[in-house]
Amino acid sequence: MNPALSQQLRNLAGLGLGLVAFMFYAVYFSPTQGWVFFFQLTVNGIILGSIYALIALGYSMVYGILKLLNFAHGDVYMIGSFIGFGVLTLLGGPLSPAIPVALLVLCMFVVAMLGSGFLGLAIERFAYRPLRDAPRIAPLISALGVAFFLENSALLLFGSQYRNYDGYDLISYNGIHIGGDSGVFIQYLGVIVIVGAVLLMLALLGLVRWTRLGKAMRAVSFDREGAAMMGIDPDRVIAATFFIGSALAGAAGVMFGLLFSQIYYLIGFLAGLKGFTAAVVGGIGSIPGAMLGGLLVGLIESWAKGYLNGNVSDLVVFGILIGVMLVRPSGLLGTPALQKV
Amino acid sequence: MRKYVVAALAAAGVAALATAAFGSTSSQSRTSAAASPATASVTCGKTRTIGLAAPITGPAAAIGNQQVRWAKYYVKRWNAQKANKNKQIKVVPGDTQLGVDTAFAVKVAKSFASNSKLLGVVGPAGSQEVVASTSSYKGGGLGFVSGSATRTTLTDGHTDGNRRGFFFRTVPNDGAQAPVVANWMTQKLKWKRVYIIDDQETYSQGLADGVQKILAARGVKVTRDSISQTDSDFSSKIAKIPSNTQGIYIPWQLAPQAQGFGQQLQGAGKGHIKLFGSDGLFAPGVWKIAGSYDSAFPYNPKDPIVTSYIKAHKGNGEFFGLPSYVAAQVVVGAVTKACADGKATRAEVRKDIAKTKLKTTILGFPLSFAASGEMRAPATFGVFQIQKNGSFSRIG
Repeated sequence: MNPALSQQLRNLAGLGLGLVAFMFYAVYFSPTQGWVFFFQLTVNGIILGSIYALIALGYSMVYGILKLLNFAHGDVYMIGSFIGFGVLTLLGGPLSPAIPVALLVLCMFVVAMLGSGFLGLAIERFAYRPLRDAPRIAPLISALGVAFFLENSALLLFGSQYRNYDGYDLISYNGIHIGGDSGVFIQYLGVIVIVGAVLLMLALLGLVRWTRLGKAMRAVSFDREGAAMMGIDPDRVIAATFFIGSALAGAAGVMFGLLFSQIYYLIGFLAGLKGFTAAVVGGIGSIPGAMLGGLLVGLIESWAKGYLNGNVSDLVVFGILIGVMLVRPSGLLGTPALQKV
Repeated sequence: MRKYVVAALAAAGVAALATAAFGSTSSQSRTSAAASPATASVTCGKTRTIGLAAPITGPAAAIGNQQVRWAKYYVKRWNAQKANKNKQIKVVPGDTQLGVDTAFAVKVAKSFASNSKLLGVVGPAGSQEVVASTSSYKGGGLGFVSGSATRTTLTDGHTDGNRRGFFFRTVPNDGAQAPVVANWMTQKLKWKRVYIIDDQETYSQGLADGVQKILAARGVKVTRDSISQTDSDFSSKIAKIPSNTQGIYIPWQLAPQAQGFGQQLQGAGKGHIKLFGSDGLFAPGVWKIAGSYDSAFPYNPKDPIVTSYIKAHKGNGEFFGLPSYVAAQVVVGAVTKACADGKATRAEVRKDIAKTKLKTTILGFPLSFAASGEMRAPATFGVFQIQKNGSFSRIG
């Protein structure tokens, strides 16, 4: 068997064992015991993790193709959430929408994804492309600069106050009960987030696997110069990667707004860090790894909030990042970098 | 011989340098002593300068900017009066970034202290910022009046340091609010099972501790938890709250966060549990979970200043900033008094702040300060209930 695949399978088996062990501890030995509570937290974690996974995909795609940590990605997600809010407001707001709710939500997603996608294109064109051949520290600094530029631009444009999507008022406070009234409850909003994220991830996987663009992306990721010699235009492929990754972040921004209501100009910072953590835990550069990492970070955060008192979830999430880096530096589904000798 | 010449030249050089250094030091200190902003007399002229320390950016920017707008609103009104044509006030803002690091508040305090034109300060916002920046304000001889630092121990003269004569506040402390909340919960609502969630900020923890202590002493079952001001996802915290809980006390500062929490609580099928907020959440139209309770110091909603502010801000009263309006009123009043003879020192301004007597304020009660810097006999907190249209109706 391919040694990299074998290593990934061992990682997944270890992760599975760890999760099962935690489940038994949580259900039978933790101060807050019970299956219902555990599964409720798990459902909450999957919903949150779906958002992180969409953000992580952008980090992972850009890193895979450019070996660049795009620290502005979290702020593209923030801009996406503001674009979605703008569409919602323009079309009547959550309490009196001017068009059918389903169409309104679709418009929010489409416009936010397009807006974020074009923003990603602009960032790539003006902040990263001129530094393509510069030392690797230069685009990293440029990325940090873009992040602060976007945050402060949002502060100037939208002000410091919170904006409220009122997603529950727009869609519904109701949901699905699993196991009766005292069982696990999933709001319809949560269902929309999970289904939307899964559809987007499947579409991305399909694009990367079965389209010419996907093939070109994989080629550029593997060897940019070689791909150029084979007639692929790396600049166009990189631009497309930025567009797609940023569009996914825009969709995540709208999902966040619908689900958690309040948005403001700094929401991209922590979400970006969590998305980055998810990408690294899953194996940066790996698309399935980013999805797995996103779900894991969401689950860990949800369990930490539920089983531990106080607010130590970030401590746990970033502690696990350090742990994974120490044990598996290339992440759960990543492959160790090849050294040219 | 050559060695001796070199040594002698070197010694002479060192001596010359030392003389120059001592000379310059002593002349510098004379200069700085003569021009030290802490003691210097400032020619008031037509424009007097005050500082405004608030979280203009950062996670608490939403409430910080309410304070900035209310304080500037007072100054704008003051400057617009014909009688004050030659007594204009200039505001120098300082961004303390509450919730990020108190180092920003210290930096602002130091820059204010070294600004020789500055005579008094409105702010800072957070109790932790007051503690961190006191030595800079005291070193600069500046009086500072906060509209939101409510930690009780700030004014006791020893627990968090002594700042008497320098620090004043136009907001009642936590000790005044907690009993009102606890009494309402136990005596009016007859709650026996209460969940308390603080937001890990000094303001919130102080109130949560105060209410928890009183409730526990009265036999109420209290469960305590925390969130942070950057949290948006409360689903896991809500999953922990037992369905038979009667009320959740949320002494937070971000009304949109409370709105999000309330919506997620309803979305999780626990909308029957009532929420009880603090003055930090007094934001009609922003926190609008109908049936929720809130404690806040009373203000006069028909006061023309309040109504004109609301009108100018598209219906948003931003009531968290009300005490900052009064803080600006106090500082501007003291600066004007100290400038009566055309010159003022910071010490004079501090003395005039301490002597402030306002017969009426938009807070709904007269204002004067005790020696500790606390307001003398502020009005007690009121209890409000959120109506279906999002308005806050006073019920006690």
